[in-house]
Amino acid sequence: MEILQGFVDAVVGIVRSSGIFTLQWENYVMIGISIILLYLAIKKQYEPLLLLPIAFGMLLVNLYPAIMAAPSTELLTAEQCAAKDIATSGHASMIIDGVTYYENPTYGGLLYYLYQGVKLGIYPPLIFLGIGCMTDFGPLIANPKSLILGAAAQIGIFLTFTGAVFLGFTEAEAGAIGIIGGADGPTAIYVTTKLAPHLLGSIAIAAYSYMALVPIIQPPIMKALTTKKERSVVMEQLRPVSKLEKIMFPVIVVILIAIFLPDAAPLVGMLMLGNLFKESGVVERLCKTAQNELMNIITIFLGTTVGATASGQNFLTLATIKIIVLGLIAFCLGTAFGVLFGKIMYKLTGGKVNPLIGSAGVSAVPMAARVSQKVGQQENPGNFLLMHAMGPNVAGVIGSAVAAGVLLNVVG
Amino acid sequence: MNFANITPILADTMTLAEKSISSAKVILTGFVVVFVVLFLLIFIINIYGAIIQKATQGGKKKKEKISEPEKNSATPSVVSRNTASASASAPNVQNGISEEVVAVITAAVAASSDSSSRTRIKSIKKSDGSRSAWANAGILDNTRPF
Repeated sequence: MEILQGFVDAVVGIVRSSGIFTLQWENYVMIGISIILLYLAIKKQYEPLLLLPIAFGMLLVNLYPAIMAAPSTELLTAEQCAAKDIATSGHASMIIDGVTYYENPTYGGLLYYLYQGVKLGIYPPLIFLGIGCMTDFGPLIANPKSLILGAAAQIGIFLTFTGAVFLGFTEAEAGAIGIIGGADGPTAIYVTTKLAPHLLGSIAIAAYSYMALVPIIQPPIMKALTTKKERSVVMEQLRPVSKLEKIMFPVIVVILIAIFLPDAAPLVGMLMLGNLFKESGVVERLCKTAQNELMNIITIFLGTTVGATASGQNFLTLATIKIIVLGLIAFCLGTAFGVLFGKIMYKLTGGKVNPLIGSAGVSAVPMAARVSQKVGQQENPGNFLLMHAMGPNVAGVIGSAVAAGVLLNVVG
Repeated sequence: MNFANITPILADTMTLAEKSISSAKVILTGFVVVFVVLFLLIFIINIYGAIIQKATQGGKKKKEKISEPEKNSATPSVVSRNTASASASAPNVQNGISEEVVAVITAAVAASSDSSSRTRIKSIKKSDGSRSAWANAGILDNTRPF
């Protein structure tokens, strides 16, 4: 009889602690959303390298919220300590109403610890290190004017800031939302963790979704703002860039940006360190590790834990809907201003610049440059804009890091 | 959906005037700083690009004369030389290399070399041995991203 009772109690205990009793309706909605995102990542291959871990992190945290729980201390009486087989010596104690309680530390959930790399701003600069190893700044050095387009595409960030402030977000929150327009995942995460960590889930998901949707969002804007004649411009071949120029570039950029805008130094510094690994040619092993193993490891940690910030109670709010709408506006404005400045350069150079490369000024490397190439080829199949668009594209990475530095400085 | 409990995030603490001032401040600062920093970069890149180009162009002419007798490097190896006069003599082409291959090599050299100076292919030879499996693997590894 005693055995049977013990068995029933155990089963009841397990059922009570199971998700069926502890989960809220929001969690179930989020489980549904995460499964849709998993479908999009696997079947449609929308940025699967990030979306898959993000979606799974989201799934995990909504099934088992304690996986993101912070460590804390619980107060136990001497009897409770004995029952749990915890030694009372060595624990701080306090007396409440004549009863002695011992402070027993509890550990945080697995993803809580991995999340510290996001929270403390460690992962995004490390991702930038890998990106630096993979980026060829040659097209930018050959045509430095593309930096203007990289700057123009950041205007969307600051205009969206205004929209967000008027919609009722605080200045810091508005800054984090605006940065979605930079179309740069690590930068968006870095800024958000510093300015508005409670919005991280929504902002990261909005940023990565729009980056995946670049080929759908950008072409209509590009076509609406340009004429057929402008789109068919064939640009002159870029001059070859010497090795010495490529080696000097990261050093010069980091000196300039870190002096003028120290807030952008972690991102730009790591980006340029990675680039120096690549261009110097003397640390091939470090370069390979940074762009492969290290970046993959960080991507797993970053994706899973960013997804895990999207618990139902955090994510299913009106704020998320506003962020998704504002993010889209930021993205469209960035594209539009890039193309408009491309048009200005077209006029100033007497028709030598194809305005389509302006849209690549939003980072999203190399997708945005590919979109410029594709839209250009629709008008003139013999036109190869890819390398010309890579200039503004990599300039956009620097531009959004600078914009991030400005936001951190002004509203941080 | 219960939207009532999200007020802490959307707390409307600023007045309209404060919002306008804050927005104008951020837009102006952002606009000016981003453009100034990037314009400064353009300026610096242009300057050091010009300096390096000038410095390397001086040294290039000397190098080209030395690099002529390279033989066992590529398959087939090409010896080219920039000449100011474009004499149209046929290149010294080894047996077994078709005219198409000669045309492709010439086009590749012309496309990758400085367009302002004219280039003449003087000879095309097959190299002795083919690339080793390790060298092939290395090249494949380096060119995979493209």
